[in-house]
Amino acid sequence: MIESLVKANLNLYAVLRNLPLLVKSDPVAAKTVAQWRIGIQFVVWRGPAATLVFEDGTCVFERGRHGNTEVVFGFITPAHFNRMMDGKGTPVPLKGFRHLGFMRNEFPKIADRLAFFLKPTDAKLADPHYLAVNTRLTLATAVFAARELALFDPTCRQVAGRIRDGAVLLKILPDGPSAHLIFEGGEVTAGLGDVQRPMARIDFRDQATANAFLNGRLDPFTAIASGEVAIRGQTPMIDNLSLIFDRIPGYLG
Amino acid sequence: MATYRYSKSQELFRRAAGVIPGGIYGHFSPAPLVPPSAYPFYTARAEGSRFWDVDGNVFIDYMCAYGPMVMGYGAAHVEEAAAAQRRLGDSTTGAAPVMVELAELLVDIMPAADWAFFAKNGADVTNFAVMIARDATGRDKIVMIDGGYHGTAGWMQAPGHHGVSEEDQRHVVRIPWNDVPAFEAVLDQYPGDVAGFIATPYHIPTFADSQMPADGYWEKIQALCRRHNVVLIVDDIRHGFRLDMAGSSAYFGFTPDLTCLCKAMANGYPISALVGCEALKSTAARVFHTGSYWFQAVPMAAARANLVKMGEINAPQVMLTRGALLLDAMVNIARGYGYELKVTGVPSMPYVRITNDESLMLHQDWCAECTRRGAYFTPHHNWFISAAHTDADIQRTLEIVDEAFKAVRAKYGSAFQS
Repeated sequence: MIESLVKANLNLYAVLRNLPLLVKSDPVAAKTVAQWRIGIQFVVWRGPAATLVFEDGTCVFERGRHGNTEVVFGFITPAHFNRMMDGKGTPVPLKGFRHLGFMRNEFPKIADRLAFFLKPTDAKLADPHYLAVNTRLTLATAVFAARELALFDPTCRQVAGRIRDGAVLLKILPDGPSAHLIFEGGEVTAGLGDVQRPMARIDFRDQATANAFLNGRLDPFTAIASGEVAIRGQTPMIDNLSLIFDRIPGYLG
Repeated sequence: MATYRYSKSQELFRRAAGVIPGGIYGHFSPAPLVPPSAYPFYTARAEGSRFWDVDGNVFIDYMCAYGPMVMGYGAAHVEEAAAAQRRLGDSTTGAAPVMVELAELLVDIMPAADWAFFAKNGADVTNFAVMIARDATGRDKIVMIDGGYHGTAGWMQAPGHHGVSEEDQRHVVRIPWNDVPAFEAVLDQYPGDVAGFIATPYHIPTFADSQMPADGYWEKIQALCRRHNVVLIVDDIRHGFRLDMAGSSAYFGFTPDLTCLCKAMANGYPISALVGCEALKSTAARVFHTGSYWFQAVPMAAARANLVKMGEINAPQVMLTRGALLLDAMVNIARGYGYELKVTGVPSMPYVRITNDESLMLHQDWCAECTRRGAYFTPHHNWFISAAHTDADIQRTLEIVDEAFKAVRAKYGSAFQS
């Protein structure tokens, strides 16, 4: 039960929330949504909720229910939502029946594009554009998923309890992208971009290194020792955060 | 002052990564050395207080093999005893007489020891101690200190670590260091089910200051253990014989039921010991615990010779004194550059940290600069001083420390300066 709820949180708050980043990073995705003007809410009974708004070629994601959107999708359980994310279930349209055609024919195009970029293969990663987008999305998924796990997965909560207050920055050298997690008083905030004066930082030598690291294709200990990945600062924060990162595939793998 | 490079270490590591998990695993992993490029990974040879890496760089060693080196690499008294025993036999059918002699020696020098049991590593004996506590009491729960380290078995690791199941943790209760009411609360919460209390003589969390026992702490813990028939286990693996030849419990004035010993016993030869009180001797006899090499005679001969020599020169006092000499001077040098060097723990195994930067990045850079110049300092772990560190070593180290502060000041400017 709790596992299903945590997975739903990850699917919504760490996977689906990547849509704005996808639209910014991928011209095909941007073109797909260019003419869309629609708001969609995803509401999981006794679970997470989020609002996606497509407008003027942009996509905005917000946690929770916001505004009077054209479409509201309900899910009777977290498992129901997870089945939809796995492509095996369909949502219950609570509002927006006249948009069913859009939801059936148009929305899957962007969802499929997201899935395409989140399921790398060696052949796909050989394409520099794919590598760049996959790296950005995987980095974002990692920090947003870590936030959910740190707060809701029973084991990760214990691990997160050992993380001192402060920010952990993950940055791909030389110029990013970057993402961060801020631990403060039992709260955890995840975000994209740099953060000032991090208490600990993980620097990836380049995009390919970051991609291999984040996709579990690079042994972290070897990568750190060889300098491909550099850790600095309060490394116990990184040690414990790594334990949380390592549990993400158990939910989303 | 020239700084070191490590091309051969790096080359060897690349080969290692192909055939060894993580290249170098466990506590020797380069990962916590920040940055790893400032540190040697492989040692070609060692002598006295120094080691030479595969690139030919020489280091004054303040990690002492993470504790085992206590009288100097290749110390003659140890090597001669080991060689003599090797000529007689090492791993043989039947135990060697030196096993009895070593047990008698430990019982003789440690007030808390009425018997001794030998193994190889620290975790062998912390595990054994817990098994004895459970068998002797018929109870399950083990109380340990949050952030304490007693090895890598499932029960010893913090929840969430790889390979550790919830079941492994089921009977382990963690409480904060120096928190007697927390121990009382556990005894109340699990009446008649607490088998043992295990802790180091003082608390040595990684990446954090060491914490000494508060006044009366051990006295109160001992009294509670006695009152509730809880076995009091001291993990003296790291501290043992670096505070007092009679054991660290003697240094702090209490008497444990079981004491785990390892690192400083044999100056690098592989041996650990569990010593205990008479009341637990028959339990120790019936709890089956053994290993293929636990009767190896050479390490026993090395340990015996080493402990005798350490007693003769009062090695703990030598280390405490030399450590204090070094650390006091380092603190003064740091202050001259506007940095506050905080030293916790005892001078023979200090935890050192620059407090100006809470993130430790400044401290990591300074340790790296020292190491690049030949004083091997790790940023995350307590250091070790040996009885082999000479006045010349200390003088050279202080010169390096000064240069390293100069280097970090050049890098950071006035940032972080107090």
